[in-house]
Formats: sequence, C-alpha cells, structure tokens
Amino acid sequence: MKKIVFLAVFAIVSLSAYSYTTATQNKDLQNALSVQYAKNISDASSKLQELDVAVKKTLLFDEGQGDLEAREDIWRLSSDIQQSVASLPLDQQFSTMWMNYLGRLGKFSKEGDERTDATEFHKVMDRASQNIESLSDQWSIATADMASGNLSMTEWQERLDGEKATFDWKGLSASIQQYTESDFPLTASESDALKKKELKHIKDPKVTKEEALSKFKKLFPDVSNQVIDTTDSKPGAAYPFYHIRFADQDSIGYIDITQKGGHILSFLTERPAGGGTMELESVRKRVETFLKDSGYTDVVYEEVRENDTAFHFVYTRVEPMHKAKVLSDTIQIKAAKEDGRILGLNAAEYIRKEQLKDQPMIKINWGTFFHNNVKVNNQELVYVENEHGIQRLAYSLTVTLEENGEIGTYIVLVDTETKDVIRTEKQA
Amino acid sequence: MNKTLRTMLIGFFFFVGIQLSLSTDSHAFTDRELAKGTKGDDVIELQARLQYIGFFKGKIDGNFGYQTYWALREFQEKYGMPIDGIAGSKTKKKLTSVSSYDKKFVMDNINSGKEFTHYGGKPLSSQVKGGTGGTTVKKTNTQVPPKYSEDDVKLIANAVYGESRGEPYEGQVAVAAVILNRIENPDFPNTVGGVIFQPGAFTAVSDGQIWLTPNDRAKEAVIDAMNGWDPSENAIYYFNPVTATSKWIWSRPQIKKIGMHIFCN
Repeated sequence: MKKIVFLAVFAIVSLSAYSYTTATQNKDLQNALSVQYAKNISDASSKLQELDVAVKKTLLFDEGQGDLEAREDIWRLSSDIQQSVASLPLDQQFSTMWMNYLGRLGKFSKEGDERTDATEFHKVMDRASQNIESLSDQWSIATADMASGNLSMTEWQERLDGEKATFDWKGLSASIQQYTESDFPLTASESDALKKKELKHIKDPKVTKEEALSKFKKLFPDVSNQVIDTTDSKPGAAYPFYHIRFADQDSIGYIDITQKGGHILSFLTERPAGGGTMELESVRKRVETFLKDSGYTDVVYEEVRENDTAFHFVYTRVEPMHKAKVLSDTIQIKAAKEDGRILGLNAAEYIRKEQLKDQPMIKINWGTFFHNNVKVNNQELVYVENEHGIQRLAYSLTVTLEENGEIGTYIVLVDTETKDVIRTEKQA
Repeated sequence: MNKTLRTMLIGFFFFVGIQLSLSTDSHAFTDRELAKGTKGDDVIELQARLQYIGFFKGKIDGNFGYQTYWALREFQEKYGMPIDGIAGSKTKKKLTSVSSYDKKFVMDNINSGKEFTHYGGKPLSSQVKGGTGGTTVKKTNTQVPPKYSEDDVKLIANAVYGESRGEPYEGQVAVAAVILNRIENPDFPNTVGGVIFQPGAFTAVSDGQIWLTPNDRAKEAVIDAMNGWDPSENAIYYFNPVTATSKWIWSRPQIKKIGMHIFCN
C-alpha cells in the first residue's frame, strides 16, 4: 500500500513538474513571439509616419533632386512596410489589401516621372497623403495593445478572428480598397495585362466536351483511354476551360483545355520512373516531332534542363516580322528520360499570343555600350515585355564577364529603339 | 651501367603506369553526348577533367551550365576541334587523353559536401577547402530556371509535402504553383521564404508539418511548377472546404477543385 501511495505521489509530482516546465516554455515562446511582432508593428508604424512625410515632401517640388529623393523614399518605405506587414499575423483580407496599396504607391512614385505629368502626380499624391494619414491613425488604434505588449498571441488571434473583435478590420480593408481605387486606378497597360490573363482576345468558337476529349485522345493516345471525368472550370476562373482527369494503366494525370477554341492550357502525367537514360538529342527529336504533329509549327528550341527522371524543354514562338523570339509565348515540354515519352505540355503562355508592333531598330555600338572587359558572345532579336507591360523589340545579348576567376554569363535585353536595358539576367 | 639501366627501367615503368592510368580513363565517360542542360556523374567527370587542365574554374557540381559550356568551347578551340560546346565522343576522347580524373577523390568530396578543386599539378589533398564531412547536406543537383535556387526547391517541397502529401500529383503541383504565383503577385511578399512564412498563410507552417521530410514526389511537383506548370490556372489561394474556418476565403472567385482543395483568386 505504501509503495502504491509513493508511486502515485511520485507520478503526480513528476507530471506537475513536467506541466509547469512545458507551460513556462510555452509562455516564454509566446513572449518572444509577441516581442517580435510588437517590434514589427512598431517598425511599420514609424515607417508609415515617415511615408506620410515623404508623400507630403513630393508636393513641395515640381522637378529636381528634392523631388527625386522624395520619390525614392516613398518607394523604399512602401517596400519596407510591405515586409513588416507580411511578417505580421493580421487579418488576411486587410493584409492583402494593404500590400496591394503599398505596392501601387511605390510603383507609381518610382515610375511617375516617366508616365505622369507633374499636375497629375501632385493630384494623386495629395489624395494619397490624406489617405495615408487616416490609415496611419487607424493602424495605431488597431495595434495599440499588441504594440505595447499588453496582449498575448491567443488574445490577438481571437481579436482577428472576430470572437472578441475590438477593431473593424473588414472596415479598414474596405477603406484601403477605396483608397486603392481612387489613388491608383488600373493603368492602360495593367488592364491590357489582365485582359491577356483572361485570354479574352481568343475569339474562337466554343468547343464541346466531346470535341475537347477527342483532341486529348488525338494528341495523347497512350494515356487517354481511361478518362476519369471531365468537368467545367468554376465560375470564378478568368477563362473557361475543361478539366479532364485520366488514369490509364500506370499513368495518372490531367489536361486542361480552353472552352474557346479547344486550346491546350496544360497537360501533366505522373507514372513510375524506369531506369536508363535516352540520349538527349534523341529525346529532343521526339519532342520536336510531337510539337510539329500537334500544330505548334512556329516555335524554336530555347533550352533544356535535365532532372532526375525527366528533361524539361522550353520552346519559344518566332514572329514572322523580324523572325524575333517572343519571350512571353513559350511552350514547356516534360519528356521522360528513359524513353522520351511526353509527360507534360504547358502551352498556357503560348496560346495567349502577344500583340506585337513593328519598331525602329537603331544600331548600337556594343563596344562603348558595355564596360571594356565585357565580351558579347551572341546576339539575337526578341520581343519582351518592358516594365510598363508593353511588348518591345529588343536585342538579346549573351555576354560574359570574368568574376573572381570564373566566367559570369548574363543575358541582357536592350530596346532596339530607345537603347533602354529592359532586363539583365544572370545565368547559371 | 647498372645505374643507367635502373634509371631506364624506372622511366619505363613510370611511362607504362601513366599510359595504363590514361587508358583506364578513356572508358570512364558514359556514351551519351553532354550538352548544356544535362546533369549527372558524367558531367562531374567532364568538369573535373576540364578543371584538371585549367579550363574550368567553376564549382564541380554535375550541372552542365554556362561555366562548363564556355570551358568546353575553349578546350575545343585550343585542340583544334569543332567548337560547339557539346561533349561528343571525339571531344571526350581527346579530353580523356590529355587530362586525369580521380573519381574517388571527387565523388567523396561531393558526397560529403566539402568544397574542393581538382587542378592538375597540385596535390589533391591540399585542394579540399571546407566542410565537416558527413554532417553537410549533400546537394541534389536540381536544375531549375535561373530565378530559382535549390534552396527554394527544398523549402517549397517542404511546404507542398506538409500541405498536400495526400493529394494527387496534380494537386501538389498546384500548391507549388500557388506559392510561385504569390511571389509574382504584388499583394504578397516577393521571396519564397516571405510567402511561405507569412503568418497564417499556410496551415503546415502553423502546425509544424512543414518540417516533415518531403518525398521525391513533392520535390518533382515543385520542379514542374518552377518549369511553368500551373494546374491551379493562376490561383493565389486554395482551401479545404471541409476544414476551412475563414468566411472570407469563401468569397474568393473559385477556379477549380483538385482533390480536396478548391483553388481560387
């Protein structure tokens, strides 16, 4: 009996000690997290005030260094606040809206000198100034308890979830959405980009499910015998498509086909990988025969990447005007290493077919354009989207530069008319 | 006389030894052509041999990228061969005849994650730079578009495995695509870590399942997404309708359902 009592007491004491230690550890962790979040809230708050000042500063100038510095400050601060907001446990809708507003403010400020006249810029910044001031006030109220460390994580979470809500996050989200719409309405090029995303320019007639299935069977006879189901995309999809799922022998996968015109968006199959590796050239030939047979006749080989079980190929459309590659219109193919079979096709970008305009081409002396230790290895013409979302004809240059004994390779895209560097990409 | 004979014999055996070692090397490469974009042990050998004779100064990692390409072209130019940057049978034969390859040294160092070089004319033991051996994580030689890194693959694979390991492959690629779509979207952080660790963004982060070790399937799903596949059709959110607690998520425009997840904008 004594032994049992001793064991019971021992168990209770051990359990209590364990519970106490765990609870203390949890509390310590929560405290550490609360401190971290309080710091981020405090950072966001002080930078929001700085942002307010920077926006006001732009109202002082029409041009010159002062204006430039203020614009740079806005861009930097909005980016900093975005980072703080992203690291905080906030209402998801509010967080998304605010990130969007800050992104637009920063972009507008940075690009404003190229795209907007001074009067318009001042008008927008005047409105933004009022809105940021109001936002700053509401943010201080919403986060006061958390910033002062008076709130545990659980209590903060409960406030966000609405159970013990003391602040109208939904209302604040709606306000920011209003600010976004009034201060930074979509520009023409952004609207174009959205239209592109929605594939609205495809005027082809609607195909039926049966026609879509028939296309699938024609292109991929090996895997299309056992279709599980064919469903329509949901109403929120930017473009309507058929979603076909299949499980044929050891291959399981899907294919999405647009309802307008029956174009393939993407196809992907999973199957057990076998051994052996086919010669890259042989697989490439198989891929190119498949592309030709499938009607993708205006594309050229761009690059390949080998991974454990498959090669990933990239092909780019070539436009007829200048024979330039259209970098936004690509097709990706995944082919099995063991037998070259097509495991995946992604043509979502290709079927959007960018609208291209002709453009003057000035001759550029690369010898003076680049630093003297840069070597131009290759030059070709491409169409590429610039920062304003407009397709521009550009020289694509493969250049090398010695970097600490190694050779660094870069692809530099230079506008053929304005000589602007549209993009510089370091290559692996 | 004896001294001269001894010297000649030593010279003879040394010569035979060299020849034997080189003739063994000539069969080392596999038969396949090596071009930009390929990877594997034969690319490791190609890089090591090019480094042995001073053409390749990059890291021996088994990925045939631009560093290897330029080095190979330079080699072909120097030895009067057609310059195409492709290691076919003739190029490999020539390279084998003028270089050496210590496979054990190279593979041991790669497997233990140590930094090393493989230059000729310098003791190999003095060319090992760092690493602790055995504790360093071995790189997996994944080839992804230049804007992503192998660390990105690992982190997203963790998220995909933690979030959707019970889902069909298509659903796993879609989850990876949502993460990549968020990086491009101005409403979200612009880094892989920023997106994945955004508070409240992913359940697997909140409940710690992100730290489970992902399988090859999750990793392949990430590689497919990085190479352009997006079964979610541009979604930036997804949720499980059975477990979702947020009312707001139901207000998002829905695109499609894959497995247990609804993908939306």
